[in-house]
Formats: sequence, C-alpha cells, structure tokens
Amino acid sequence: MKIVLDRPRCEGHGLCEEAAPQLMHLDDDGELVLDIETVDDVLLEPAKAAVRVCPVAALRLA
Amino acid sequence: MGPKRIVVVGNGIAGLTASDSLRAAGFDGELTIVGDEHHAPYSRPALSKAALLDSEDMTSHQLPAATHEAHEILGVGAARLDAGKKVLHLDDGTGLPFDGLVIATGSRARRLGAAGNPGNYDGELTLRTLEDALALRRRLAGQPSVVVIGGGALGMEIASGCLAVGCEVTLVSQELPLTNQLGPYLSGVFLAAAVRHGLKLAPSSAAQLRSTGGGPAGGRTVVTLADGSSLEAELVVSAVGDVPNTEWLASSGLLTGGRLEVDTRGRVRPDIIAAGDVAAFPTARGIQRVPLWTSAIEQSKAAALALLGGDGAPALDFKPYFWTEQFGLSLKASGFLPLAGAPDYLDGDPHDGPSLMRWSHREGSGTAVAINKRIPIPKLRRLSEAAPEVASPAA
Repeated sequence: MKIVLDRPRCEGHGLCEEAAPQLMHLDDDGELVLDIETVDDVLLEPAKAAVRVCPVAALRLA
Repeated sequence: MGPKRIVVVGNGIAGLTASDSLRAAGFDGELTIVGDEHHAPYSRPALSKAALLDSEDMTSHQLPAATHEAHEILGVGAARLDAGKKVLHLDDGTGLPFDGLVIATGSRARRLGAAGNPGNYDGELTLRTLEDALALRRRLAGQPSVVVIGGGALGMEIASGCLAVGCEVTLVSQELPLTNQLGPYLSGVFLAAAVRHGLKLAPSSAAQLRSTGGGPAGGRTVVTLADGSSLEAELVVSAVGDVPNTEWLASSGLLTGGRLEVDTRGRVRPDIIAAGDVAAFPTARGIQRVPLWTSAIEQSKAAALALLGGDGAPALDFKPYFWTEQFGLSLKASGFLPLAGAPDYLDGDPHDGPSLMRWSHREGSGTAVAINKRIPIPKLRRLSEAAPEVASPAA
C-alpha cells in the first residue's frame, strides 16, 4: 500500500513521525517528508498507526 | 489464554484506536464495537478549529476508514453492565456477552441549562459532537450576535471561529481566559491576540440563561451574570467542561467514588479496560482524566495491549501533548499544563512571530511550547525533557 499525504491539510503536529519515525519526518521547516511511501507487510502497522494519529487526517493509505 | 470475544463500547478515537491496536497485536477473535453516534469516528479537535471555518464542504474532521473489520453496532448506547456475568446490555434490549471489554464511552458537554431547569435549555448550544458542529455552522451562517460562556481552550476556539465568520462575540469567563489551562503568561499572549481580533470580555461567572420568548431559534437569550448584570445575544454557546459518560456503569461495581479509575495499563480489572475521556488514569500529577486527543490514543494503545498481554504489556508512559488554534495563534505544548510564571527559556516573541518557550518543573521535567512555529513533536518532547544549555534573552 501507499501512504498519501494531503499537504494542504497537514498542520505539522508531527504525531505521525512519533508513531512511525522509520517512514516519515518533519524537516527543519516543519514540512512533512515521507521517507518511505510504499509500505510492505512489515511497515503496514506503523503506517496505519501514523495515519490514525493525525488529528486532521492529512494522511491516508491507498 | 487471551480473550476470544471482545466488545468495545464507544466508537470515538479511543474505541477506534483500541480496536486497531487489538488487531495490530494479533487479536483475531470476534470484535464488536458499539457506539451511540451514527457515524464513523471523526476528529473532535477539528470541530472547534478548521471545521468551523471550512467552506461549504466540511471535511476537516474526517478520518480515514477503519481497517479493524469489527462488527459495528451504531446508533445504540450502552444501558448497563453486568460485570459478574460479563454481559453488556444495550439500550435496545440486546445483551452482548464478552471475554474482554473496552470501555470508551467518552464524555459529553456539561450544560448550564436555564434558571430553575439545569441542563435543559434549547437555546444553549455546545460543541462536542459532529451534530453540534453542524448546528453551530448553520447558526453562524446568519452572523448572529454571540455570547460564548467559558474561557477555556474550547470556549476561546469557538469565540475565535465566530469572530472569523463576522459575528460580534462576547466571552464570559470568571478567570482571565486560558489561565487555568495554560497559566498566566500564555493567557496574556492569547488574550492580547483575542482583543486585537475584536473579542469582548465579560469577566464573570455563574451565568444563568433564559429566553426572551419567540422560541430558541427566533428569540434571543438573556445571560444573567453573577454580578447581576446581563447580556443578550442571538446565539449562546457554552463551553464549561465535560462530564464523563459513566451513568451506565452505576450498578456495575466498577466505579470508585463515581469515577472510572484504571491502573497504569488502563485496566479496571484484568478483563475490562477503559480509555479516553471516560477514564481516570495514573499520571505524574495523580489519577485524573485527561480528555485530549493524544491522551485518548496513548491510553487506548496501552490498554489494548494489557487486555491481551496482562502484566507483560508495557505500562502507559503518559506524556501530555496539547494544541490549540485561535485568533491567529497556533500553539503546541509538550508537558504538563498550566505553567507558573514566565518561561525560563524563550526564543522569539510570542506576541509577534514564531516563538519557542520552556518552563521547568520542580521534579526536573519541563514543558515546551511553540507558538506559530512548526516543530516536530519529537523535537518539542526532547526540549520539554531537557532544558537548552544556553537560554536566549527575550527578544
């Protein structure tokens, strides 16, 4: 599956980074960077956790 | 042997996260979610922020679809719990037996009600549910004069949203707004921004409400203040706290002095866990409810693991995270609130542009606060845990 970021919705809370630091991080300007977009079975659970924790639903799995 | 049949009561972010976490931890038994709201879980924090300002399509609150594949019973509430027989009784008469139970029934808005009729006055809007938000948006479309009662974060966010759509807004608050939530220093920052945006303040408490007649929709509401003076507005919104939904547990034997208390792993007892706004849990500041988004998520994850793994599951290491958006200010805070005095570290000027602040607490930890500054939460957490070595003077 693929992690999809809706950038205009992202408010930069970074809770997703806390949930899945192996998949994404906020850069020095506070912009979210997806380090890995396509997730295999091993990375699916952290990806789901990252998607779930976003309070503005800026992330989804497709 | 772990549970085979788990029932989750409550379909908010706590119930959803608990369900996801159970599945992620390998639970493949029967999972049932009961929720009294008719919709899929949504982001409650968004309702008083972006959702009030969304144009025609209100989408800010929508969450991605659930993947836990639970059997969902929506639009039905819990009526009673037989904890001995392990049966959950629903409003519609159904009884659901369980091996494991997740209590995530959340809380509801406390209401002021009318004089002589507490809790019941049609002209008093609150903002807690999606229906509340839709109703408020409908009313705001007519740009009514507004009185907001309650100077906490929710009351201030509502006031900010009402001003942004062009309403005249008066905020009733006994304390200076946000003092109890954030402390005097940040209260001053937000109050200055609020006044710049045109907010009027009525420093008072114990408001009583009554209609001027003509029905709540057509009429106006008179708000009587503690000092005897009164305000009149076309729309009154109260934000005076929340009440945990524990009534259905009254005969369960699970309440302690009326509270639903859990241990450090979210357990009421080994086969019953509770998480989210309904639960009082042990924190570094004592056993308390912390009715906030990340609190609900962290509690739910820890409790779900304990329901499956017992004492072998990790205890909750609760680290508060709070944010608010209002009057052009976006605040993120990691650590316990409110904050005494001025920050002992300050980079930038919170009254003008991005700023980063830190307060030290007695026990060595601290609270880091960013205003109008995008900063990753892990970085904010690190800052809250250890003070920067060199403190910058205030700009």
